[in-house]
Amino acid sequence: MKRNIYYLLIGIVAVLIVALFWWATAIHSPLPVWIGIVGGIVFLYFAKKQVTDIVEDELSAKITEKSALRTLQVFWVIFFAFSAGAILDLLRPPPFKEPFWIRMRPEPPIDVFPLRFVGYLQLGMLCLVIFLYVGFRMYYSKKYGVWDSDEEQD
Amino acid sequence: MKNRIKVFRAMHDLTQEALAKEMRVTRQTILAIEKGKYDPSLELAFKIARYFGVSIEEVFFYEVS
Repeated sequence: MKRNIYYLLIGIVAVLIVALFWWATAIHSPLPVWIGIVGGIVFLYFAKKQVTDIVEDELSAKITEKSALRTLQVFWVIFFAFSAGAILDLLRPPPFKEPFWIRMRPEPPIDVFPLRFVGYLQLGMLCLVIFLYVGFRMYYSKKYGVWDSDEEQD
Repeated sequence: MKNRIKVFRAMHDLTQEALAKEMRVTRQTILAIEKGKYDPSLELAFKIARYFGVSIEEVFFYEVS
C-alpha cells in the first residue's frame, strides 16, 4: 500500500468517527463512539503495517517522542493546578448560618460540580492535549529542519 | 556534529531521495542530517558510511563550536 493511500484512510476514518459521534448524540448512546474510535485506531494500526513506503523513521520517531514528552510535562502542570483548585472546592467545610453552638445542623451541600460540566471539562482537556501536541510537533519539526527546502526540492 | 554526506552523494551521483531509499529513511531525514540539524543514530551513521565504502570518521566528524 502506498503512503498516500494510508493518509487517505486516516481521513476516511476521521470522517466516519465524526459521523458516528453525531449518530450517537441522536440515539443518546456513547457505545457507537467507543466502538468507532477503538475500531478505527486498531484498523489504522494494521493499515500502517501494510504501507510499503517509509512512513516513520528515526527522525520522525524522535520528533514524536520529544513532542509527546513536552505535551505530557505541560499538560501535567495545567491538570495538576486545575485539580488542586477543584479539590480545594470539594474540601470546603459546610457553611453554618448561625454559630455552631446554637444550631449544629449544616446547610444543605452546595452543588460542587454539575456532572455535565465534567464532559465539557474532558473535552477541553482533550483539545488542550491535541493543541499542545500539534504545537510541539510543529516546533520540533522546524527545529530539526523537516520543513527546510533545498536545491533538490525545486 | 558535521558531516560530508553531500560531498559523498555528489561523488556517487546520488540524490537525497535515492540515498534515503537505500537507508530506509525519509528524504527529510537525510536533508536534516546534511544541514547538521539532526545527528543520526550510530546505526544510521554506520550504514551511511558503509554504503559509501568509507569509515565513519570520514563522513562524520565532531567540531567544537
